[in-house]
Amino acid sequence: MIPERTKALLLPVAAVAGLELWARAIDLQSDSLAPPSAIAAALAGAFKDGSILIATRDTLISAFAGLLIGSAIGLALGIALGIFHIFDRLMEVTIEAIRPIPSIALLPIALIALGFGYRMEILIVAFACIWPILILSRAAVGGIEPRLIEVSRALRLSPVDRVRKIIIPAALPRIFLAFRLAAGIALIVAVTVEIAINPIGLGAAIMTAQQALRPDLMLAYLLWIGIVGYLLNAGLVVAQRHLFGRAALVGDAA
Amino acid sequence: MNRSVLYWRAASFIVAAGFVAFWQIIASLRLVSPVFLPGPDRAWASLLRGFASGDLWEKLQGTLAHMAYGWFVASIAGIALGAMIGSSRMMRSYVAPSLEFLRPLPVSAIIPVAIAMFGLTQGMALFVIAFGAIWPMLLATIHGFAAVEPRLYEVARSLHMSRTAVIFKIALPSASPDILSGMRLSLTVALILSVVCEILAGLDGLGHWVLLSARAFRSADLFAGVILLGVIGYLTALVMSVAEKRLLRWRSSGH
Amino acid sequence: MPSAVWPQAISCTERPLIKFTDVALTLGGKTIVEDIGFDVRPGEFLCIIGASGCGKTTALRLAAGLYQPSRGTVTFDGEPMLAPRRDIAIVFQDYGKALLPWRTAAGNISLALETMGVAPSQRTARIDELLNKVGLPGHSGKYPAEMSGGMQQRLQIARCLAQEPKALLMDEPFGALDAMTRQGLQDEVLSLVAASRATVIFVTHDLEEAIYLGDRVIGLLPHPGRIGIELKIDLPRPRDQLRTRENPEFLALRRELFDFIKASEA
Repeated sequence: MIPERTKALLLPVAAVAGLELWARAIDLQSDSLAPPSAIAAALAGAFKDGSILIATRDTLISAFAGLLIGSAIGLALGIALGIFHIFDRLMEVTIEAIRPIPSIALLPIALIALGFGYRMEILIVAFACIWPILILSRAAVGGIEPRLIEVSRALRLSPVDRVRKIIIPAALPRIFLAFRLAAGIALIVAVTVEIAINPIGLGAAIMTAQQALRPDLMLAYLLWIGIVGYLLNAGLVVAQRHLFGRAALVGDAA
Repeated sequence: MNRSVLYWRAASFIVAAGFVAFWQIIASLRLVSPVFLPGPDRAWASLLRGFASGDLWEKLQGTLAHMAYGWFVASIAGIALGAMIGSSRMMRSYVAPSLEFLRPLPVSAIIPVAIAMFGLTQGMALFVIAFGAIWPMLLATIHGFAAVEPRLYEVARSLHMSRTAVIFKIALPSASPDILSGMRLSLTVALILSVVCEILAGLDGLGHWVLLSARAFRSADLFAGVILLGVIGYLTALVMSVAEKRLLRWRSSGH
Repeated sequence: MPSAVWPQAISCTERPLIKFTDVALTLGGKTIVEDIGFDVRPGEFLCIIGASGCGKTTALRLAAGLYQPSRGTVTFDGEPMLAPRRDIAIVFQDYGKALLPWRTAAGNISLALETMGVAPSQRTARIDELLNKVGLPGHSGKYPAEMSGGMQQRLQIARCLAQEPKALLMDEPFGALDAMTRQGLQDEVLSLVAASRATVIFVTHDLEEAIYLGDRVIGLLPHPGRIGIELKIDLPRPRDQLRTRENPEFLALRRELFDFIKASEA
């Protein structure tokens, strides 16, 4: 019986080895592909001269800032919509009208309003992050065990206390899950904005590498972006388990 | 639809109209420069103009064509591959972990590679859109096929059902809720990637339209384009909702 | 002229339909059942009882061809059971999982008819006939989720009957239902089986149910599962929920099985 771990690694290891052998065999000269060894070398080089670290920092700053702003707005609105059903019903059409706008469509608006740089990217990321947080935190608040609300009434808690002591803690695990989802979206949107037009961060770096006809560097950045995304998600999963234990993983799809 | 639902709907529309009026007031009072924020009146006028002259209609078709092509290819490939991988435990244990690793990867990062391979062409866009749209379909289909109730497979064995019959009569219908939600996600990804590729490669479509409008500071045209993109997003979500309700009738019955 | 006397096949014991010979099953290093040997004659109603974990479901699945024995043979009509057969129908306990939720009652029965190659034009008639037989007339358009537990189990039975089975294997089919529904279904099964003359292996943990339904009861001992007791049920047919259960013979059998179970759990 091959252990599951080994099985999981078999395909990627075989793919990498296969690509390396093939590239060597045909003496690959291409603008779009490079042997894994060259990719690794380019990655190491980018670390050495620090360029990849600067790019990573820029992307993560924009992503996190946008994530925090979007989450704050989405959370506030989501909780409000979850608690006050009247508010929820009145806002239905407005939310359903704005939500489907793809965040990337705001790119030109942000561009002419704020020009290139951090701010326009943060704005777009924030817009993209509002919706998953809003929808999921609204559902989280709406899904709170009604018994708990009754308890809060019996204890005669003030509205603020009720939100602080009962509603937020009860909804927190699902809200954190929404946050994890939004974090992934934040990274994706940030990189996309950089690839489309913004001259900062990992997206810009990968585009520059392509334009400079350096497929090894380009693919190195691609690999690195994947690693960053994976580590971000994995880190948040660890945090989730740590903060909420097994109770929070109920209903977790990923 | 009962009375109270209708009343709330109407009230909700009124609230939305209120926001639009608020927007109009801000624009008319020039609290924000009209270069950045046109009033809804100007945006609407631009929409009408664009359609009358046929320009916007062409761009709309361009984006829809990009989306449709990518989504179609992705659906076929995604469902076929997903069915194969999802129904075989062996394949799942070898392939699924790698796919899970690739899941959080920003799909737009493939664009530079595509540009290197195909240049700033239509082909590049179609490659990117199809590639991006496959992932949600593939992952959802694998999940759907992996989650088929094992008891049903035993029923199939007892009935001596052929392999084709098992796939089409048991596995596929069982996986259809997952497949449909994957399709929904795929459409969203296809829209986003269409816009990005149109911006980058200057291809005919709404993405290109909004970029040109932005560069020329024609804010009304810009907003008209953004609104249209929102409309596409809304309509595709609506179509998928309707499709899900009709095909998944059996889920809501009972309980 | 004297009539020739042909050597008759020994008719008091007809050839068994299902035969277990020295069957053992080991899964993952654990011996689940061993030394299982018994016959089931055509048309016989055999009940298998035993404490939890004694392997009665395993025995049924071996009879169904869903498991292959590690030792010994399971034969059906003389041939070894290497795989499930279309003329052996299995009624599962978890009826919800054994029905297709996306098909109506008619669609579920149709599944069996489709695999048997019944022409589309003839299916509706068969479906209606079967639904009537199991007491679900007019329910053909309902989805399983719209039906109660008892109705779903009847639907599963209807689908099994659509296979025109020679043998019906039932795995604690009424375990998940309330007592009243259970009793109603017990009588329905008895009349369905009498009409179709199918052979039945019925697994249950309910001693009274086993005696009420069966011609014979086999009790298994746990860890590993092996045959501990075999009782012939000579109660008159047709059975009746009140009269049969008050019959002194019934009570005596019940006592015997009860003592067996208690001893096996010790």
